[in-house]
Order: sequence, then C-alpha cells, then structure tokens
Amino acid sequence: MVIYRDEYRLYNFGPGHPFTPARLEMLTSLLQALGVWREPLAPPEASREEVLSVHSERLVRRVEAASCGEGVPDLEHYGLGTGDTPVFPGMDRAARVLVGGTLEGARRILVGERRVLQLGGGLHHAQYDRASGFCVYNDLSVAIRHLVRAGLRVAYLDIDVHHGDGVQWIHYEEKEVLTLSLHESGRYLFPGTGHVHEIGRGAGLGRKLNLPLEPFTEDGSYLEVFEALLPWALGAFRPDVLVVQAGADAHFLDPLADLLLTTRAYERLFRLILEYAEAYAGGRVLFTLGGGYSLDATVRVWTLLYHVFHGLPLPERLPEAWLRLWEARLGKPLTPTLHDPEGAYPEIPRKPEIEGRNRLTLRRLTELAEPYLLH
Amino acid sequence: MLVKDVMKGPVLTVGPDVTLEEAYGLLLARGIRHLPVVAEGRLVGIVTDRDIRLATSHLNPKGPCPGCTQVGEVMTREVVTAHPLDPVEEAAFVMRHRKIGCLPVLEDGEIVGIVTGIDLLDALLRLTGVTEPSGRLEVRLPDRVGELARLTGFLAGRGVNIHSLLSYPEEGEYVRAVARVNTLETHLLAQGLREAGFEVLWPPKKPW
Ligand SMILES: [Zn+2]
Repeated sequence: MVIYRDEYRLYNFGPGHPFTPARLEMLTSLLQALGVWREPLAPPEASREEVLSVHSERLVRRVEAASCGEGVPDLEHYGLGTGDTPVFPGMDRAARVLVGGTLEGARRILVGERRVLQLGGGLHHAQYDRASGFCVYNDLSVAIRHLVRAGLRVAYLDIDVHHGDGVQWIHYEEKEVLTLSLHESGRYLFPGTGHVHEIGRGAGLGRKLNLPLEPFTEDGSYLEVFEALLPWALGAFRPDVLVVQAGADAHFLDPLADLLLTTRAYERLFRLILEYAEAYAGGRVLFTLGGGYSLDATVRVWTLLYHVFHGLPLPERLPEAWLRLWEARLGKPLTPTLHDPEGAYPEIPRKPEIEGRNRLTLRRLTELAEPYLLH
Repeated sequence: MLVKDVMKGPVLTVGPDVTLEEAYGLLLARGIRHLPVVAEGRLVGIVTDRDIRLATSHLNPKGPCPGCTQVGEVMTREVVTAHPLDPVEEAAFVMRHRKIGCLPVLEDGEIVGIVTGIDLLDALLRLTGVTEPSGRLEVRLPDRVGELARLTGFLAGRGVNIHSLLSYPEEGEYVRAVARVNTLETHLLAQGLREAGFEVLWPPKKPW
C-alpha cells in the first residue's frame, strides 16, 4: 500500500532550500510517466495530541505561533527560525500532514497490512524539545510510539546519510524499540552524533545501534557491513515490524554529504530490506522517504524503491517527455537511465583503508552491543 | 572556562594517620583515584591509588603492610594546587608539565574542590561543541589580523550559528580554525568560502 497526498508539498521552506517539495513533484510525475502510478491512500493529518505523543507542549506551541506569523522570541532555542529550519506560514499543519501519513502507515500495519510505502516524511532529526535539520515534527517517532503502545516491538532502520539522532534520542531508554542507523561519521557531518558508543540507556541499553561510516564509503563496503549487521541485529531482536527511513542522500551525487552509493547499491538495499522484513519481522515493513538533495539522484533512488516495493520490472530509460520537461524546468541535464552509468565518479585512492576502517567500526559496534542485545 | 567550572566538590579527604587499607577502601568505594590528606584543616599531602599499590607491593622491600602503614608515610608532600579562578588551560599546563593526575583546588587555604584529567577531558568536549547538532568546518587561515573575523563574518552573513570555534597555530604562519556549525549544508558553505578565497580543508571538494 502506498500513502501520499499532494498536501505533503506544503512542507516548503522556500526557494533555494534543499528540502524542496519539487522532489515529490518530480517523483510522482515520473511514476505517472512510467505508467506505474496507482492511486495512493490519502492520509488524514495528525492531530495536535498525536504530535504530543513524542514532542513537548512548549515546542508545539512555538511551532503553532510561528506558523501564523506571531513573533516568538526564543524560537532559535527550539531549533526554529535558523538557516536550516526557517519558519513559514502554515508550517504546523504542513508538518502534521507528513506526520499523519507515517502514522496512517502504522495504523494500517496494525490492522493487517504488511507493506506500506509512505511517499513523504522521514523527519528523523526532530527531537522531543527541538526542531532540527529541516525537521519540525518527528513523524517516524509518532508512528513508532503508536506501534509500541499497541504492543509491537519495532526495529527502526535509518539509511539516510545523516545520523537518525531524533528518533534515537526519543526512544533511547525504550526496550521495545531497536534503532539502527548507518550514516556518514558525525566526526564531520551534521548532526555530529551517532557514535558506536551510543548504545542506549536503562531498559534501552544495547538496543540503539550506530554504524558511522567513513566519508567516501562506496557500494561494496556499505553493503558488506549492512549485510553483516542487519541479520545479526534483527535476528537477535526479533521485531514485529520494521520502520525504514529511506533517505537518498548517501548517493554520490548528493551535495550535502560524502558517501558514494550508486543506484545499484540502493536497489540491493531495498531488496535486502524486504527480505529481512520477511525473515525477521513477519513481512511487516513501513517505508518513509527522508533526505536526498540531488534531485537527479533522489528521484531515481525513490523510483527504484517504488518498483522494488511493488515487485515491478525496472525500466531502463526514463521517459523522454518527462526528461525534457524537467531538464527545462531545472535548467540542467538529468541522468537519462534509472541506474547510474558505470564509472560515474573517479576511483577513490583510499578505498582499502576506508573498507578496513568500516569493518573495524562494525566489529566495535557488535562487541559493544552483543552482551545486551542478545538477552 | 575556569577551574571552578570543571572541578568536582566537595572533596573526600583523609587524615595522615589513616591506614593504607582504610584509604584504599575509600578509593574503591567512591570510584576515585586521589585522596588529599588534611591535618588541622590544612592540606599536607596527597595520596593516590598508585601510591598505595606501590607501597604495599610484594616487590617493595618495605611493604606490604596495608593495615599498619599510615597514609602520612607514603603521601606526596608539597602538593601542587590550583585556584578556582585559574583558567582550565593553566590547570592542564601544570598537570602536563609536572606529570600529575590531579590538582586540589584551594581558596583561602581551604580545599574547595579537585580537578582531574577526566575533568579536563570533559572541558575539552565542551570546548569543541560536539554536544549540539552540528556539522564540522575546517579552514586554514593566514596568521594575521582580521582573518578569523573574516571567517565568522562570512558565516554570520549566511545565517549560520557557530556552536564552537577552536583555532590553533600551525607550521608556517597559519592558523587552523575548526568550527561546529548549526547546519546540514557545510558543503554549500565550503563552496562559498572557497569562492571567497578561503582555504577549506573540510568538507572536501568533490571532483565531480
Ligand atoms: Zn539526511
């Protein structure tokens, strides 16, 4: 089942901002041009109370005030009105529409749907008390909390290139939530967290796992550690459902980060996630979108996700008319095939060192978490 | 950042007539490594877990007698101390150059706190600003008037909040500046900085 409504595009920080609704417009128009678009389920927007299941009243009050243009003196303290997360009219409702989509996905899982693809959301940086990094409300955590309150054990998987800090901190002490984030090391990249040593606290100890990867990590190394980590962690935790933040900003074309995944790695990742959901989570999986700031790469990655999700054969070339339209709109050429061309970026001289360090990081993580995760 | 901002207090102290066994028991129970020794309200020495272990080792010709040796016999006298208003970097300097693991903090002759290597590591973490959601920017600047101002002015002009800014001298008349900035868009900033003539070391320029 696919969840989407056009109002997702109200979540708009203005011209020039990387988290642009053009991503969704491009994606849905491509799926239509490819002839695979099926009418999605339009979700209701989340209520204030639903947002309050993971956020503080004082944050929500500030978002509401800023949304209708009221001056709020301590806005920046709550992560709003910054260069990354400026305020815009109607921001509260726009964010609640996205939360509503992911929450609707959780509800559908609870009444027996196995696979849900929410074509939006993934706002993983939003924290209990603070908006952060383009994220106002945390749709993922609202959905996860709904699932946990219904008695489910949730494994959250975050493949966005940035650490899923908001989701991690919100559920940091919860036994019923396993969080797994693979990201470019926070030594350099926003938000700076996601170290292997962050493994949870109290009842959540050993159930928050972070695999910080070296800048310039490529397909092979990423998939190697992914395929070692996931079956191990999911096999030990045995979740009832997988919630996936499928950010596309680990792609080599992404302008905000430094991992070098190609669409081939993404295709393999999406197929593996569906396999793992079958093997370890009763087939139940809820996908959201997330980061992804190269329009060219992001739209192709999520088109891949849509096809793999539905088990559709992959198109080779993108429709000419669609390409012409969007090349004219963006004023630059687009990759004409769904997959990246071979050899799209130059060889990385540090490759063996990067692979070695990623293996070492994986070993450190498993050694740290093993005593807790396996009981 | 001053010593009073990072020191720990109140401080557990012992008298010089306490036995090594009792002192070691206190160190273990509190999970600490240093015990200032106080007599008649005055700091007269300091004893560490290492001092006690050395004094009671089978390899020591005078040891072991944890139950009958007194702290006063093995403690270090003439203790190096700090004042609450000393800058942390001065405390670090003293500890590094004297090769010692802690400084009792005295005010008007009275012991008000203690600062250890661990406290200085905490200070370093706070100074680097890693606790705030941020990205990292590293720039090499010529070591001359106004360069840092040019950098921070550029960031201010882009509406970027700086959580922390460290700068330190480098070989060859340069200063290295490392900033934690409140933005996901460090690449865009780096590009802008390069266009404005800055030498940006991180994030790197992608060759495609
Ligand atoms: Zn991201």
